This record gives sequence, structure tokens and C-alpha cells, in this order.
Amino acid sequence: MLALVPWILANPGSTLPAIAERFEIDERELERDLELLPMCGLPPYTADRLIDVWVGDDGAVSIRLAEYFERPLRLTPAEGLALLAAGRALLAVPGSDSAGPLATALEKLERALGATGGVAVHVGNADHLDALRSATDAGEQVELDYYSFARDEMTTRVVDPGRVFNAAGAWYLAGYCFRAEADRVFRVDRVRAVRSTGEPVVAHPGTPDGEGDLVYRAGPDDLRVRLLLGPEAAWVADSLPVESRKGRSRGRVEVVLAASGDAFLERLLLGLGTSATVLDPPEASALVSAAAQRVLARYAAS
Amino acid sequence: MTDRLERMLNLTATLLDTRRPLTLEELAERLEPAYPAEKVARRRSFERDKETLRDLGVPISVEMVDELGGEAGYRIHPEDYYLPDLGLGDEERAALHVAVTAVRLEGGAAQAGLRKLGGIEGAAAPPVAQLEVTPALADCFDAVAKRRTLEFDYRGEARVLEPYGVVHRFGHWYVVGRDRVRDAPRSFRVDRIEGKPLAGAVRAFEPPPDVDPAAFLRADPLSYGDEAPIDALVLVDATRAAWVVDDLGADAAVEGRDGGAVVVQLRVVNREAFRTWVLGLLEHAEVLAPPELRTDIVAWLEALSGGAT
Repeated sequence: MLALVPWILANPGSTLPAIAERFEIDERELERDLELLPMCGLPPYTADRLIDVWVGDDGAVSIRLAEYFERPLRLTPAEGLALLAAGRALLAVPGSDSAGPLATALEKLERALGATGGVAVHVGNADHLDALRSATDAGEQVELDYYSFARDEMTTRVVDPGRVFNAAGAWYLAGYCFRAEADRVFRVDRVRAVRSTGEPVVAHPGTPDGEGDLVYRAGPDDLRVRLLLGPEAAWVADSLPVESRKGRSRGRVEVVLAASGDAFLERLLLGLGTSATVLDPPEASALVSAAAQRVLARYAAS
Repeated sequence: MTDRLERMLNLTATLLDTRRPLTLEELAERLEPAYPAEKVARRRSFERDKETLRDLGVPISVEMVDELGGEAGYRIHPEDYYLPDLGLGDEERAALHVAVTAVRLEGGAAQAGLRKLGGIEGAAAPPVAQLEVTPALADCFDAVAKRRTLEFDYRGEARVLEPYGVVHRFGHWYVVGRDRVRDAPRSFRVDRIEGKPLAGAVRAFEPPPDVDPAAFLRADPLSYGDEAPIDALVLVDATRAAWVVDDLGADAAVEGRDGGAVVVQLRVVNREAFRTWVLGLLEHAEVLAPPELRTDIVAWLEALSGGAT
């Protein structure tokens, strides 16, 4: 209400349906809320001190005597931040118009909030981002040379691109991978080469529309590992998508996480060192010590 | 339910209209629908209304009714309540709508903000990016906008920061500014701040004139650290050389070897970050120099290799 009334005052004659659409509320709810207004105002609540609302035959809404609600309530910090973050993120996407209406809107907002330059979002770029965005927009099938970080291997795949998006500071391509015969998400900065196959993209049964959460989603066949994290490694529980966590004594945390590939687990555990212990399965433990030995072998040889 | 809504609207109007703070008694006398007559119930109802309005961002201020102290009075200062006219045109509002639908943030705060600015204008856009927001982030932003110092615990240490901005990079939000204790620029991961940060009085400091918060986080996370710098040399296999040189920049490559392997040089100011980075390359990289970093890595790996050979 505190946002609606000022706008209606400034735009007299707007109809109920138009107002409902602009503020994304149900028309009936809007009607009910407007009916409330004539009972509001200042003491002693006599006719000259109550807000006056009427809806004409053509559906046009008029409000009078609501001078205290002529201007909207200021933005909360969370609202200001959200608007600036969304705006700065979009401006950072390669190809955005850095001098257009979004940029000027953000400058005005920042000045009003006293936060000029106070919010910065880095969205990053990747070598093949443009090529993949064009292929996606044009509905063209591509062949990718792709480095799988989790498996530490280079593969070539034919993909029907579905969507290019940015999450957690990196660019991703979601599409149907013919090699895996399933939907996959690829990190654009690990794509070494893109080639057009000349084929158009086709629909694949069961392909999700692309709403849902955007990054690695564990499959039922991925290895689940139970880890005991010491205090120096406890941050993992907050930074990685763990499936469960339990606080243990002396600042330790026990977590279960899904490993997207052997190399993922090797990297994680080699990095954490002795501040993390694999509780199970034993294969995961063996994997890590084997990886440590492989790397050590380089130092012994030279 | 509607009674309470009506009363809150009337409360807001009354507190905006008054020229002096009003006590709870005076408010109870004036407001309709009436607050409960019984004192405790009346205080409780009022406190609930006040909380709800404050959560919406309505700045209800509590002041002494007169110089003799004693009773608390309430009012809303118009200059704190109203959004100044931003002078946003239709195109600008439409651009904000596009931004708010193309970039997904949890919580709906962006949409609420857009409503206050005049509602939906123009078409929505398909989502192209996703950003996470943490509760402490809004607190940090508020401190940046109002120039309030922030006190918080970070990695077990108490910190005091003059925040200049919040920056999203490497997939995380950071609050950057001047660390008062160390008298030096610092950045902190907002999601690693322990508990709720405490904000001090407004306008407690003046940021330097040309400060650019975005520049606080340089492109290379390896360049972050407080330790005395050491120059390291790392041999990277041909299969990973291209990635590494891409990441570190062509200047980092100091020697090419047979078969396409490459030796890169890095300045290490944070041994933990360096070790994580080198081990991330698994058996495709080897620390060549200096001896102390090489010994470090070997000892670290020996502890993990299960003793077998």
C-alpha cells in the first residue's frame, strides 16, 4: 500500500487492471485494499481528514487527501542492494550497453542512496562465450572440445545448446550432450574449441525448461563421501553443496558430499591435507593416498 | 487483520503528521481502531505494530518528550521516511525491470524495491545470471551507504572496518575497505563473517576521494596475503600449460621445455593458497624452487600418502 498510493496519486485515472498488473497483485486484493483507505487518515477521522478514494464507471481510480502518502517509503538496505546488484551484474554481462538507461538508472539510485560505486559485480568473460551465446540464440548444434575438471580429461562432444547463464561468478552452457545422451552443464571457460556442425538444435524429451538451480546437481550414481573436517577445513561445509552436516566436538564438522569425479575429490582432499579425514568409503581414502603418491613421484624423480 | 492494517496506516500518517514526539498514551487516545485499553496488552500491540513497520523500512524514531527526560515519545521524521524523487524515466524503470528479471537473487527484495520505485514497467527478461545474497550483505551495504564502521569476528579475530563497498567476484561477495586496526586496505568474504556485524554511528569516516571498491579484488586470488613474498617456479606439463598461462598471464611463463611443458613464475604471499593451487594441478605440476616451498609440498603429500610406496 505504501508503494501503491503514491503512484496512483501521481498517475490519476489509471484503471484497476492496469494498477494490478504494474504492482503484480491480484485485482480483487487491490480492490479490497483500496476499500480500506477511506477509513484511514488523521484523527479525528472526520470527512475532511480521511483519505478519499473512488473508482469511476470506466474503472479509473482516483485518490485525494492522502498527502502523507504522496511519496513512497524509502528503500530498505536489502532492497537498494538487490536493485544495484542485479543492475550491476547485468551491466557486466559482455555486450551490455554501458551508457544506456540501465546505467543512468543505477547512477540515480546510487546517488539517492549515498552509495556511488558502492556495489560492484564481476561476471567474467570466457573465450568462447560469444560463440556459444550466438549458437544458442540461433538454435545451432555445436561440437565442443571440453576439459572436464572433475575427471581431469579432455573430450570432444556434440551438444544441442539450450541456455547460457552465469552463476557463482562463472559462465555455463546447459544443453543436451549426445555423448552422454543426457542434459549436461558445461563451464564455458573449460571449452577449448567450438565448431558448428551445421545441424539445427532439436527438442529432447524430458529436457527441463531451465528454471531450477543452475550448477552441479549430484546424480544418484555419484560417489558419496563422508568426511570429518577439522576447524581449519570447516569452511568446506559452507562453501560446497554438502548433503548433510553434523557438528562434532572441538570445532570439527562431519559432512557427506557427492563427488562429481575422482579428480574433484583428489583436488579437494590434497588441498585440505590432514585437516580432513575420509570416514568412508574406503575407496575414497585409497583414491586420495594414490593421488598423493602420484604427485610425490614427480618430486622423487627429479 | 484488516483492523490492524488500518491502524498501522493511521499510525504511520499520525507519526508523520506530528511536529513533536507522541507518547503511547497520546497515540492510544487518537488512533482508530483503538489499541487495547489494558496497559500491558496495549504496549504489546503497539510494539508489534512498530516492529512490523520497522521491518518494512519505516523509520520510527524514539525521542524524549521533553528535556526533563522521563517518557519516550514516537514520531517519523519526514526526511527519513520519504524516498527522494529519483527522476527515473519510463525507459530507466523498464531497464531496471529487465535487470531484476534477468538476474535472479533470492528473497524478492529487488521486486519490492521496484514496486517502491513505481512498479513494473516493460517486459520481463529471460534469466541469464544468478547471484546469492546473505543476510550480512544488506548490513554491510547499509554501512557502506551511511559510512558506518563495521565490527565483526572473522577467522577468530575481531576486526574493525571502514567499508567502501561490496564486491562480487570469484563467485562470492566481499566487503572491502580500510581495516582500522591494521591501517591498511582489506577485503573480507561476507559469508565468512561470524555472526551479525555491528554497525557504528553514521558518517563515521570519509572514504578517500578516488577509491574504487571493484579494484580491491585483483584478478588473481593468488595475490592475496600478508606473508613476506617469495618467488616460486613451477613446472607445468604440456597438457595443462595452456590453461595455466591463460590464468596467470603470458608474463608468468619464464621458460619453455621440450614437448610443450612450461615453467611459470609466481609471487607467493599466501602459502596456503599457493599450495592449493599447485596441488589442484595434481601430477601435472611440480614446484621447482625455492627449496623451502618444495620441501613444504613434499612433507604435506607424505602425510597424505598413507606411508606406502
